[in-house]
Amino acid sequence: MRISDRRFALFLMTPAALFLAVFVAFPLFRLVADSFFKISPIAGGPRDFVGLDNYFRAFASEAFTGAGWRTLGYTVIVVTLEFALGLGMALLFTTLGRSSQIWRTVFMYPLMIAPIVAGLLWKFLMIDNFGLIGTLLHQAGILSNPNQIGWLSDPNIVLYSVAIPDIWLTTSFMCLVLFAGLQNIPGDLIEAARLDGARAPALLFRIILPLLRPVIAVALVVRGIDAARAFDTILIQTNGGPQSASETMSLLIYRTMIRFGDPGLASAMGTLYLLAMLAVAFVAVSTIWRPGKDS
Amino acid sequence: MRVAERIKNDAGKSPAAVAGPSAPTTGSGSGRKRRGVNREGLEAGRRSTRTLLWVLLAAAMVLYGFPFLYLLFTSFKTPIDTIAVPPTILPKEWTLENYANALGRSGVVASFINSIQTAIISTLLSLVLAVPAAYGITRYQTLSGRIFIMAALVTRMVPPVAIGIPLASMMASMGLADTPIALSIAHTTISLPLSIWLMSSFFEAVPRDLEESATVDGCSRLGALWRVVIPVVSGGIAVTAIFAFLASWNEFLFALLMTAIRSQTTPVVIANFQTQFGLDWGSMTALAAVYSIPVILLTLLLQRKIVAGMTLGAVKG
Repeated sequence: MRISDRRFALFLMTPAALFLAVFVAFPLFRLVADSFFKISPIAGGPRDFVGLDNYFRAFASEAFTGAGWRTLGYTVIVVTLEFALGLGMALLFTTLGRSSQIWRTVFMYPLMIAPIVAGLLWKFLMIDNFGLIGTLLHQAGILSNPNQIGWLSDPNIVLYSVAIPDIWLTTSFMCLVLFAGLQNIPGDLIEAARLDGARAPALLFRIILPLLRPVIAVALVVRGIDAARAFDTILIQTNGGPQSASETMSLLIYRTMIRFGDPGLASAMGTLYLLAMLAVAFVAVSTIWRPGKDS
Repeated sequence: MRVAERIKNDAGKSPAAVAGPSAPTTGSGSGRKRRGVNREGLEAGRRSTRTLLWVLLAAAMVLYGFPFLYLLFTSFKTPIDTIAVPPTILPKEWTLENYANALGRSGVVASFINSIQTAIISTLLSLVLAVPAAYGITRYQTLSGRIFIMAALVTRMVPPVAIGIPLASMMASMGLADTPIALSIAHTTISLPLSIWLMSSFFEAVPRDLEESATVDGCSRLGALWRVVIPVVSGGIAVTAIFAFLASWNEFLFALLMTAIRSQTTPVVIANFQTQFGLDWGSMTALAAVYSIPVILLTLLLQRKIVAGMTLGAVKG
C-alpha cells in the first residue's frame, strides 16, 4: 500500500517536529506558566498563583528596564560596528580578488573560537593593571597612565568594552556573507557605471549597497538576534558589573533565577524578553527581508 | 538598472569631469585582458591602488590575529610573568608550566572527554532528525512543511536562558540530570533549526528527476532518499555536521545550567578557573588554547565547506 506524498512528507518531518515540541515548546510553555506563580526556590516548596503580579514587579524594577535598554544599546553597538567592519573587509577582499583567498580563510578563524574563550582573552587584554592594551597605549604616548581608561571597570564605557569580543568573533561572519553577496553582483554593471564616470562612493552607495540589500537584511537580522541574546562573553568579562552597567537581559534573567532565587519573576522577564525578540524579528523580516517575495 | 541610469544622467551633467576618470578605466580594461580572465567588476586594477589595499589588508590581519596570538604567547609564560606589570608581549622564558598545571588539574581531562562526547551525540541527533525533515520540506512543498520551517526559524530566536531552567528540571525528572545525553539534547535544540535550514538549501539544489527515475526503477521513496539522494548531498551533510558540532563544542549557557561535576564540559571548567582557584590566568590561557586549536585547524582544513554553509542561507535569501 502506498501512502500519499503529503502523508509521506509529514512522516519525514514528524521526528524533528516532536523533538522541538518536547524540548523547546514544552519548556517555553513551562516558562510562561511559571510566570504567573510565586515560586519558592527550594525544590518542592510552595507555589502560589499570583496572576500578573510578576509582570508588574518586572516593569516596576529598575533592573529590568535598565537591562532592556542596555540590551538594545549593546545590540546596536555590536551590529553597527560589525556591519561597518565586515563590509570594509568584504570590499577589501573583493577589490583584491583571487590573490587574497588565503587571507580570507585566516580571517575566519575567530568564528571557531568559543565565546567564553573570546571573552576571556579580551578581558585579559583590557583588564586593569596587567592589561596589554592600556600598557601599549601608554608606551605609545597616547595615555599618561596605563590605567587611565578603565575598560572593564568604568560604568560609562563598560558596555562598549564588553561588546568588543562579540564584534571580534563575528565580523568574519558578516564579511563572509557580504563577500558572497558581492560576488553575485554582475561585473558588467560595475563596468558600465565606471565607464559612465562613477567614482568609488557613487559605486558603493548607488549600486553596490542597493543590490546587496537582501543579503544585508538577512545578515543584520541573524546577527541582531544573536547579539540580543549575548551571555557568555559578558558573564566572563564583567559578570554584569560594575554597578550592573553591563547587565543585559540574559544576565539579569540568569541572576534573578539562580542568584536571587526568584523563578517566577525570572520567568515573567524571560517571557517579555522572548515576546520582544519575536516582535522585533517579525517586523524586521516582514519589512526588509520578505522571504520568497523577491522580484 | 534604474540606478545605473541615474548615474548616467549625473555624469551627463558634467562631461568634462567624465573624461578624467573614464580614460584610466578603459586603460585598466585593456590591462585586464592582458593579465587574464580572473579579474572583473570590482577588482582594483591600478598597481598603486593594489599596493595600498594590500597594506590595509596586512594591517587588518595583524590587528585581527593579534588577540589570539597574545593568548598563545601568554600560555607559554611562567605563571608569575603571566600577570606581570607592565605586561610583555612575548614570554621572557618559554615554558610549558601553564599547560602542565591546567591539564593536571582534576576534572580537566574528563571535561574534554565530556565535550567530545556531547558534541558527537548532539551532531548525530541533529543530522538524524534534520535530514529527513529538510527533505520532506523541500521535496513535497506541503503547507505543513512551510509552517514547520517557519516554526523552526522561530525557535532560533528563543533565548537559551529562557528555556534552560525548565529544560534542566525536565531532564532531572527523566533521570538524566548531569549526563552528556541531557546536555546533547539541549545543544540539539540550538543546532536542529540551523541544520534543517542548511539541509533544506542543499536538497533544493538536487534535481527532482534523480529520485523520480529511481522510483520508476522500483525504489520506494524512502529507498530513493537513502540510496540516491543522500549520497548526492553528502557534502551538504558534512557542512551541516561541522556546524552542529561547533555549536555544541562552544556552547556555554546550557552547559552551565545543566551540568554539575560528572558531565561538565570544558567551557564551564574554563569559566570556573576564575572563581574556584582565584585568578589563575596562566592555566586559563593554556586550557583555552588547547580547547581552541583543534577547531581552528579544522576550519583551515575544511574552509571551503564552512564558507559554503555560512553563505548559503543568507545569499539565497
